[in-house]
Amino acid sequence: MIPQDFEYSTPATLKEALALLADGEAKVLAGGMSLIPLMKLRLAVPGHVVDLSRVPGLAHICQDAAGIHIGALTTHYEIESSPVLRASCPLLADTASHIGDVQVRNMGTIGGSVAHSDPAADYPAALLALEAQVRIAGASRERTLSFSDFLVDTFTTALEPGELVTEIVVPAEKSGTGASYQKMHQPASGFAIVGVAARVARSNGGIGFVRVGITGLASKAYRAFRVESILQSTGDIKKAAAAAAEGVEANSDLSASANYRAHLAQVYTARALEQALSRTS
Amino acid sequence: MKLSGTYTVPIDRERTYELLQDPNVLARAMPGCDHLALVGPDEYEMRMKMIISSIQGLFSGKVRIADRTPPDGFRLIVEGSGKVGFMKGDGLLRCTSLYTSTEVHYEGDVQVGGMIAGVGQRLIDTTSRFLIKKFFERLTAEAAGQMKQAAD
Repeated sequence: MIPQDFEYSTPATLKEALALLADGEAKVLAGGMSLIPLMKLRLAVPGHVVDLSRVPGLAHICQDAAGIHIGALTTHYEIESSPVLRASCPLLADTASHIGDVQVRNMGTIGGSVAHSDPAADYPAALLALEAQVRIAGASRERTLSFSDFLVDTFTTALEPGELVTEIVVPAEKSGTGASYQKMHQPASGFAIVGVAARVARSNGGIGFVRVGITGLASKAYRAFRVESILQSTGDIKKAAAAAAEGVEANSDLSASANYRAHLAQVYTARALEQALSRTS
Repeated sequence: MKLSGTYTVPIDRERTYELLQDPNVLARAMPGCDHLALVGPDEYEMRMKMIISSIQGLFSGKVRIADRTPPDGFRLIVEGSGKVGFMKGDGLLRCTSLYTSTEVHYEGDVQVGGMIAGVGQRLIDTTSRFLIKKFFERLTAEAAGQMKQAAD
């Protein structure tokens, strides 16, 4: 179907883009992998679309003392294939390689994905496990939020009208940290029925550090704190994974009932922890 | 699709029940509701503008209240339709007294059809629960506002 008429702007600078967005009415177009299909179905009928594709300085991957900075317009494919990320933050590269299909990964961007905040998107699991930061720009101020504060609920983020995600910052992994993303794909859409990201490091024969993020199961991705503390204190993967869906109201749809999803969360958490541990050295 | 859940409202049962019957309160608490008017006994006409992510839908329809057993609960029937699809909800609300606060339990059936159900099937469950949560959050805020007024 053809979208309804809309005004279309292609700002050439970030400042210009923010000025166009200042009234809070315009819709931001990044890679367009979520917005365009919705517009074609006329489920989304924005009056004004601000296309960021000509805004420079938003598609970088670079490393400094604070971590690895990833520009909002960096595509999933660029993240998946980045030598910097492959070497220093393999969890994010691995997670990106599981998103949708080749076409989506070539067009879709990390900034677009996190701002859209689909409850079954892949990145949130990894970004929670990585304790990532989100840089946000508005017409009058810039701010940085932890990803867990940024993620509010289903399709809801802490972005105010008129604000843009400009950058995601993830830590460069210390040597000895192992990570893994394990996912059950919805066969048609490629979205996560359940996706689990885990990071683990050993210390003195035990577990020194664990971070687990789970997506697809609930109305938003979450950190599985109970899994983390059980693994850290007992080292028992099975016991830890059993707590993956504890206290969570699981989603239910045609592909997977709530009970099945909760079960999958345990299975995939165990797999992610196992693989992450096998990658520690 | 079946939905159920429990929320706690920080005022007593009689006042919670009254709050849930007040069309002005309902209009403020229902996410996106911009019009709710009495058209018959226990029957209201409503208009809602839903904005969830990029999807925006204008729904118009009816809200009906039946089987009242004050202050225990009542049955709420909501029907709406718009360009993007239609929805029907039929649920039972039960208020249980916890002395100074009230536990509201809801149990019901929601049907969503049309375009929005065709493409958004995997999101209906999450979105419905998200909207119900918002409704109760705002209801709680209304209750807190009333308590403050009473205290002043």
